This record gives sequence, C-alpha cells and structure tokens, in this order.
Amino acid sequence: MERNRQGAKAAYVLLTIVMVLWVLSPSVVRRFNREAFTEFQAPALHLVGKGRDLARYWELKSRNTEDLVAASRDLARVNAALELKLAMMQDLRDENKRLREIARYTPPNTFYTVVARVGLRETSSWWHRINVRKGLDDGVRPGCPVIFGDRVVGRVTVVHKNSAEVDLITSPAFRCTAFLEGDDQGRMVVVDGRAANSLTPPAARVWNIPYDYSIPAGTVPKVVTTGLGGIYPAHLVLGTLEANLRNAQDGNFKEGVLRPGRDLFSLQEVTILVPTKPSRAEDLLSGRYDELQ
Amino acid sequence: MSWAWLLVLLVTYPWLLLADMLSDSLASWGVVIFITGAVLVVPCRRLKLWQSVLVAGCLGFLFEARRPIPDGVMAFWMMAAAIFFSTRREWLRNFPLLLRAAVACNVLGCLVWYFAAAWALPYRGTIAWINVLPELILQVLTAAFAGLIFLLPVSYVQELIMDRAGVPVAKDIV
Repeated sequence: MERNRQGAKAAYVLLTIVMVLWVLSPSVVRRFNREAFTEFQAPALHLVGKGRDLARYWELKSRNTEDLVAASRDLARVNAALELKLAMMQDLRDENKRLREIARYTPPNTFYTVVARVGLRETSSWWHRINVRKGLDDGVRPGCPVIFGDRVVGRVTVVHKNSAEVDLITSPAFRCTAFLEGDDQGRMVVVDGRAANSLTPPAARVWNIPYDYSIPAGTVPKVVTTGLGGIYPAHLVLGTLEANLRNAQDGNFKEGVLRPGRDLFSLQEVTILVPTKPSRAEDLLSGRYDELQ
Repeated sequence: MSWAWLLVLLVTYPWLLLADMLSDSLASWGVVIFITGAVLVVPCRRLKLWQSVLVAGCLGFLFEARRPIPDGVMAFWMMAAAIFFSTRREWLRNFPLLLRAAVACNVLGCLVWYFAAAWALPYRGTIAWINVLPELILQVLTAAFAGLIFLLPVSYVQELIMDRAGVPVAKDIV
C-alpha cells in the first residue's frame, strides 16, 4: 500500500511536468495532436453517416411505386416552373451586368457551393455543432457560411481532411451582423448565439436594436444578413425576431430573441458557400500580407 | 502484455461512438451523453499505472478533439484520475465500489469539460450563469445516469479483452 502511495506521488509529479511542457509547447504540436485524434475518429463517423444514408435508402425503397411516381410528377412540374423562372432571370442578369459596367461597380465576393451531408449533431450549453462530411479535400475552408435554401445554418469553424465542424447560429460562439425587416433606415443589429437551456427551444440573441424600432403590426419580422464583412452574402434569412423586445442594460438600445428559420437539428444536408477568392483575413493568415499592402 | 492498453482503447471506442450517436439523437435537448469518465475505471483496476495513464490520455484527447474544449484539459484530468484510481485499487475491489467510482469519475469529468468549454468561449461576457444552471444540473444528472447504464456492458467487454490479452487480475481484488 505504501509503495502504491509513493508511486502515486512520483506519477503526479511526472504528470505536472508533462502538463507544463504541454502548455509551453508550440501551438502546432497541440494542433497536430488534436487533428490526429480527430482523424482517428473520422472513419467511424463516416461509417455512421453512410449507415444513416443506407437506412434512408431502404426506407425510400420500401415506399409504394405509385407514391414515387406522384412525387416525380410533382418534381417535374416544379422543374418546369423553375426553368421558366431561370429564363426570365437571364434578362435581369444581363441588365444587371450592363449597369454594373456603366457604374464601374466592384462586384461582391462570389461563392461556389459544396453540398454536404450532416454527420453527427451535438449540443451543450456552450456549443451547438454539426459535423458535415465534406472537408479540406472538397475545398471547404474555415469561416465559410453554411446555408439551407435561403436560410443561414451557421459557419464552418474547423475543417479536417474529409469533414468539417459547423457552429450553428444558436451556438454561443456564433456572431454576425444583420438587418431587421421593417426597419426602413436599414440600421445594423448584431446576432449572436446564447448559452442553451434545454427547457426552451434553441435561440439566438439580437442586440443593438435601435430604441425607436418597433415591430410592424401583424408581422413577424425576418432578420437577414447584411452582406457586410465579406462572410455571408446579403439577404440570407437568419430567422425571425420574437415580438417581446426588451431594453438593453445601457438603455440606448433594445434586444430580442431570434428563432432560427428551420429546425437546425433535423437537417440532413446543408450547402457550404465557399468564396471563390480568399477573404482578407485568410490572405493575412496565409502570409500574403505584403501582396495586400 | 504491453499492448493491452491499446486493445482496451480500441474495444472502448465503439462505446464512445455509441454515446456520440445518442447525443446526436438528443441534440434538440442540448445534452451530451458523456461516458468517457465511466469507461476509465475498469482499465485502472487491472492495467499497469503507465498503461492506464495512456488509456486515460487517449480517451481525454478523443473527447476533446471534436469539441471546443481547451487543448489537453480533459486528457490531463483523465490522466490524474487514472493515477488516482490505479494507486487506490482497493477502492475498485467489487462491483458496487466500481459503480460508485465510475459515476463519480464521470460526473467530475463532466464538470471539468463543462467549465473548461465555458472558459474557452469567445464571448464570455454574455453568459448568464443563472440561466445555465438548470442545464448544468441536467448535464450532471445525465452523466451520472450514463455512467450507471454504460458501466456494465463496457466493463464486460474491457474485462474480456484484458483476459484475452493475459493481463493479470489485480492481487487486492482476488
């Protein structure tokens, strides 16, 4: 027993030394270690995702053929309507291009899309995250916006070789600027996630709302992205603003609750918007500061 | 057998994955099914000290790899717990004691990652702790319950692999 206690003392001393070395070690060591343990888990997570897809496949396969034919017919109609819309949009696009050339307007950053299946979801008080099955190999970069339709889902925070972690808009680590529907002056507000409480549905906080802003009667105002800052394209829907606005602590602004546009935890697939040109921040991080200068 | 720790880790990982899948199903509840602390106690009962510390470190790093927890916090806490249990094997000599240790280890581990993640948050100023308290209580209760539920099947698999690997049964347990 006594020998055990002495062994414990030596082990604790050794552990303390290792901890100090760990803290003092360059961040690349810690990053490599984290990445190694993530990649160790990656095949299993992919397998889980594939298994889920397979279950969905068999579920669909077991459906009645008549249902599938009806669904295909409906889709064909929707496709025909969309093709018509697309043809009409072409005229608008041409006109838009001509006007931009006349005005010498610098076009905003363009994106290409990467569709990704959702792997695992996980929420706690401090993070609301989904794991998606697309990563560095597919061109995904940290900071890329993640959407579903015209709704913002979140932002890519960590990218691995074949997977990425996405912070949802309700996550406490999420923050972006937005406009409120019904505010004619187009004043900017800030949206950030808030620490979760399981007893209430997940929500984000909208703050910096101008004191004289009031919700138009009979409407549920949408909160949309500003397009400023270069991360999110403009006019994507973040969610809706709840009616009960309250005064902020400083007394000059109001704050409210944002309900996400979709049930973020039932998403099966999302779209990642990857900027075609790296942002300023990415340029700085990749050491192209001199070029920027 | 010096590689026994790796075998134990490999047979434990599917259970951690299962817990992650359960967390996925309960995502709208905001609860993480945490069992990393509970799966540590059985290896500590039979493996050598250095082996159990290695298992603990790997379990900790596996947990924190995909989550916004400061690097090494869980791993070093798990290593300290492994040293504690490996040098006090009389505390793990029968199943009720093992169960108690698993629940205690799981709950403490849960508290460690919970507060470490809060500390790592980029906008800490906005946290209203009074709102978070029910969530913390729920998380701790879930960790205790998960420790109770998962210990039996996980310990069975871990004991089996240690038997196969020829790891001797600890003297003070017999």
